[in-house]
Amino acid sequence: MKKVLAVILALAMIFSFAACGEKEAAAEDITLDVIICQYGPNTNEWFLGKGMNGTNFVEKFESENPGVKLNLEVVSWNDVYTVVDTRIASGQAPDILNIDVFANYASEGLLMPVSEYCPADLYEDFFPSFIDQSVMDGTVWAVPDLASARALYYNVDMFEEMGIAVPTTWAELEEASETILDYYGGEVYPWGIDMTTDEGQAAFAYYTWGNGGGFVDANGNWAVNSAENVEAIEYAIDLVKNGYTNPNPETQTRYDLQDMFAAGKLAMCIAPNSMPTYCADKGGTVNMATAGIPANEGKTGSSVGVMDRIMAFKDESAPDQAARNEAIGKFLKFFYNPENYVGWVSMEGFLPAVNSAVAALVESDPSFEAWLDVLGSCQFYPTAKAEWDQVKQGVIKAEQEALNGASVKDQLDALQAALQ
Amino acid sequence: MKPTLGKKIEPYVWLLPSIVLMAIFVIFPICIVFKLAFSEVTKAGIVGGFVGFRNFKEAIGLPAFKQVMINTFWWVISVVGLSTIIGFIIALVLNQKFKGRKIARSIIVFPWATSLVVQASVWNYIIKYEYGNLNNILLNLGIIKEAINWRSSFQVEFVWECWVGIFVTIPFVAFCVLSGLQSIDTSLYKAADIDGASFWDKLFHITIPLVKPSLTVSTVLNIIYVFNSFPIIFTMTKGAPANKTDTLITYLYMLNFYDRQKGPATALSVIGFVILCICAGIYMIAVMRKEDAE
Amino acid sequence: MINDINTKKTNRTALLLVIAALILAFIFMCLPAYNFDVIIYSQKSLNTTIGDANYSAALAEVQKEQKRLEAEGYTSTINETLYERTKKSGEVSSTVTFTLNSTVQKSMLAFLGTGLASSYVLLAIILFMILSIACLAAGLIGSSDELWSRLNGKAKTFRTMAVALLLVACLLVPVFYMTNTYALSREIYLYGANLIDQAGSAEFYQKIDYLLFDGTAGNNITDFIAGMKFSSTLWGWLTLPCVFAMLIGAMQIRHGNIKHALLKLLLYAFIIVICVLTLYPYYVMLVTGFRSSAETNDMYFLHIFPTKWIFQNIKSIIDRGVLGYLKNSLLIAGGATVIALICGIPAAYSLARMRYKGRKAFLGFVIMSQMFSPVVLLIGISQLMSTLNLNDSIIGLMLINAAFNQAFAIWLLRGTFISISPEMEQAGRIDGCTTLGSLWHILLPMAAPGIVTTLIFIFINAWNEYTISTVLISTATNRPITVGITQFSSFNMIEWQYLFAASLLATIPVVILFMCIEKHLADGLTSGGVKG
Repeated sequence: MKKVLAVILALAMIFSFAACGEKEAAAEDITLDVIICQYGPNTNEWFLGKGMNGTNFVEKFESENPGVKLNLEVVSWNDVYTVVDTRIASGQAPDILNIDVFANYASEGLLMPVSEYCPADLYEDFFPSFIDQSVMDGTVWAVPDLASARALYYNVDMFEEMGIAVPTTWAELEEASETILDYYGGEVYPWGIDMTTDEGQAAFAYYTWGNGGGFVDANGNWAVNSAENVEAIEYAIDLVKNGYTNPNPETQTRYDLQDMFAAGKLAMCIAPNSMPTYCADKGGTVNMATAGIPANEGKTGSSVGVMDRIMAFKDESAPDQAARNEAIGKFLKFFYNPENYVGWVSMEGFLPAVNSAVAALVESDPSFEAWLDVLGSCQFYPTAKAEWDQVKQGVIKAEQEALNGASVKDQLDALQAALQ
Repeated sequence: MKPTLGKKIEPYVWLLPSIVLMAIFVIFPICIVFKLAFSEVTKAGIVGGFVGFRNFKEAIGLPAFKQVMINTFWWVISVVGLSTIIGFIIALVLNQKFKGRKIARSIIVFPWATSLVVQASVWNYIIKYEYGNLNNILLNLGIIKEAINWRSSFQVEFVWECWVGIFVTIPFVAFCVLSGLQSIDTSLYKAADIDGASFWDKLFHITIPLVKPSLTVSTVLNIIYVFNSFPIIFTMTKGAPANKTDTLITYLYMLNFYDRQKGPATALSVIGFVILCICAGIYMIAVMRKEDAE
Repeated sequence: MINDINTKKTNRTALLLVIAALILAFIFMCLPAYNFDVIIYSQKSLNTTIGDANYSAALAEVQKEQKRLEAEGYTSTINETLYERTKKSGEVSSTVTFTLNSTVQKSMLAFLGTGLASSYVLLAIILFMILSIACLAAGLIGSSDELWSRLNGKAKTFRTMAVALLLVACLLVPVFYMTNTYALSREIYLYGANLIDQAGSAEFYQKIDYLLFDGTAGNNITDFIAGMKFSSTLWGWLTLPCVFAMLIGAMQIRHGNIKHALLKLLLYAFIIVICVLTLYPYYVMLVTGFRSSAETNDMYFLHIFPTKWIFQNIKSIIDRGVLGYLKNSLLIAGGATVIALICGIPAAYSLARMRYKGRKAFLGFVIMSQMFSPVVLLIGISQLMSTLNLNDSIIGLMLINAAFNQAFAIWLLRGTFISISPEMEQAGRIDGCTTLGSLWHILLPMAAPGIVTTLIFIFINAWNEYTISTVLISTATNRPITVGITQFSSFNMIEWQYLFAASLLATIPVVILFMCIEKHLADGLTSGGVKG
């Protein structure tokens, strides 16, 4: 029996040892838990590796801001909702989070208003139209991190060879698609469409905004089943049914479309402004140019903007709230410092969210200027509404059901009904 | 009295480390799941008060519930069934003596040694229509003349997902069966040979009955693992289009973290648990009875 | 005696089979094995119906070109392909593409001496076949009808050699086809599309020119190659069954037992098919892992292997911390295995050897504990770990993985222990061992194989665990490899080459571990096995 006891004791020791093996931070330091999303191949290196001129964001920040430590984590987009939600549910919300949505967190009182931690001079620096996108109940809950704008990319050589113009309306798009199919004998897909669970809401935006519809009506209430929307989605589904598009829009993601475009298999596709860099990296020698996203006859199309945000969570357990807020402010200040921010934005091919970065970015790449103009006229997803997740998943499901033969109107009506 | 007490306690002392480990790291989280299933959970994941069976009602009322249950049934049946049959045949072959057996066995282990996410990504990459490797190879070998759209409909996609499921499950079954096969006394076969038994006689009257115990355990664990397996479907289709390729576990994952209906999602996981419990319970009772009879 | 005569007869039939197959094989080698279709010129006619003005104009254009080429000494045929589609408006639109084709058929033997990689494979096939026939002849001289058991040593060696050589020849036929098809398709595409312009291109053009056009194409060859398609025909593939028939025949002459020979062959064929299927995704990982980013996008089905092997990829992933992740994974999986065994062995022992209340309940409870997917338990686990202060620690992951594999450990080990007779331990106890002593000194060594099996099962499960680690680990340097490789798939692009190179790297340790303990697994399962 002694030996049995010995084993049990040994086990107990293992457990207690394990339990004691915790890291103890220096008492006076404030440690901020930061979650950043994985934007591109360089994100991880820039924040944690050697991607910032041999050093990295965390090291540089900590050396410039003694007393503040960063526990920074770069999470892939596939996992980020899982990680964040689980941490929140188990009471370990991060201090600073970089993600696309904020409304759920804000409506449940988890976020701090930006005014509590953001230095005034930095706040003035953000594009006002971007800040407006993060307002809920009159309070600003998050600051814009970066943005990207979507436009129509087309294969210049193909259009020149066929001698046709780039379509600007839906009717023209159908016509151009027919010409492309005939001319290349079905070898080239005229139009790229992505209705995957990853980003099907983007397709919804491209077509409904081009038909005067959208997720919300003029008063900002959900109106996913408006007549314009039904017409727009039916049009998009028809494009697929008529064979103008890539064959499997339910599973062919934006990457697949961009790959096909880069290899000359796809004539037109809607893609973010990082497309030229992407194609160059994929070895594509496609001669490409951008144009506005086609809209329905008599309607004005609108560019589609995608914006991500940085937000700070409340932490009642922090001993010194003021010091914590100050530390968060320091983080933002450091992040948006043009010295760091310009490198970050241009590295991953995004568009900036602050004025102070514009000059340097335009200098490094003149094409940025045109994109900044596009960005000014962009429409964004209504992410400031708490039901956004439900709407996003709902429209994706509606599209996918419609691709499999369901009625668009029924699907969108059901979604609208569920929202009320 | 004292030694009797010691004797009585002794078995439980032996069990203690295992019980402690599982109680802390498995049972505690399971209790949390049960608590969540009967509580209100907000979209961001904050846990509210007790709501009775509301989450369960909502879960069963979800429009995709029926489709998802049917998919789960086919997923488990096809993956477990086919991988058991193929794994059994492979185990029979790998049990023969031949040159290069060690290499062959090591190769069979490969699919198991790679994480499911990666396996699913590779197959996703292989079956792409426009530039997938499968079309590439078949075209080059002159077997097909034109590229085939391997993912033309959700039914086909689901078959592919099942195939990947089978592919990664075969090694597990094969090695479970192999372990059973090697414990069979070879003298039994020799005796059968003398009696003039055919290959099939030996298979049905010696091999299968003797492998059965190891096969049943592996099958039950397999059913549980396959039922709960989520990376393959999540990586390959994310349930697209519109939950038509979802199984229970991927559906509740999407429901939890994408649709943010956390209450019903947790309730679904409890429903899955109950279903598994019933299946495994029937099995356990059957097996235990037999053991008692012996 | 009757048996002897029968064997002698079948020996003679087998000899005839070999000779017949040999002749057939050579005939098939001379028949056309490949069709080469060169598009010399093409002309499109859009929005057309057959016979209308557009159509005739295009056709006239093509015929003019054909005449011009004829004057230059090329014969060509006109092909037309029709692409038809119903427009949205309901009318049918069609596009006709005219091509001037020059079709050449080549047999396998035509590739001899072309200097392409496949020509050497062909040479080897023929060489092996001839050598094999020679060996067979040498082995048969004076004893063609004789039984294997009565042969002298030399004849035996010769006959064995003959079988081995034929086996190699048999395996080389598909190798020829693959190298030929791959080499041709890849190089034709690359040179034709001017994707690579190397010093060797002129030489390659010459080879193709000599092979397909008897050297007449000259400078036109680049244009020809750009529009070339080719396909293999059935005749060439028939060589394979012929060589196979020879092999069976030879085997029978050697063994005198065709059933046995066939079974052995089938066994190997099955194993090879299974192994090839199993390795297929790994082949894809391998070739993609060594590609440049540009080439991962393999749009035109032509790069079976990377045009250039980028070994730099391995360095890149190591620079991005993959070795650290591997180390973490090893620690986590190793630790989890040890803990699971430490807790599982006593439990399994008591379940196997002792009779007490709640035994069955415990076994059932163990199975029940497996019934929730870790995905579902995330919130509970995360809460627990933060209470225990084991968040973001490798030890925490060890314990979690150990706990989640308890069911497996207990069930498998219990089966092993049951299958070992308790008498040995009882003998040990009479010698004065305690229960623990007899477990340690007697039972465990005997059960080693079963323990090894359990070990590999737990190790692999822990090695592949993904979801819990994603949520628990927040420091990059603590990540296991499964989480570490997610950095290669980001919002902007998926770096397939790095993802696959890293995944392949992550597979290697497990396979090495398996190979190390495979021997124990094999022996041990003899006594192991899971007894329900």
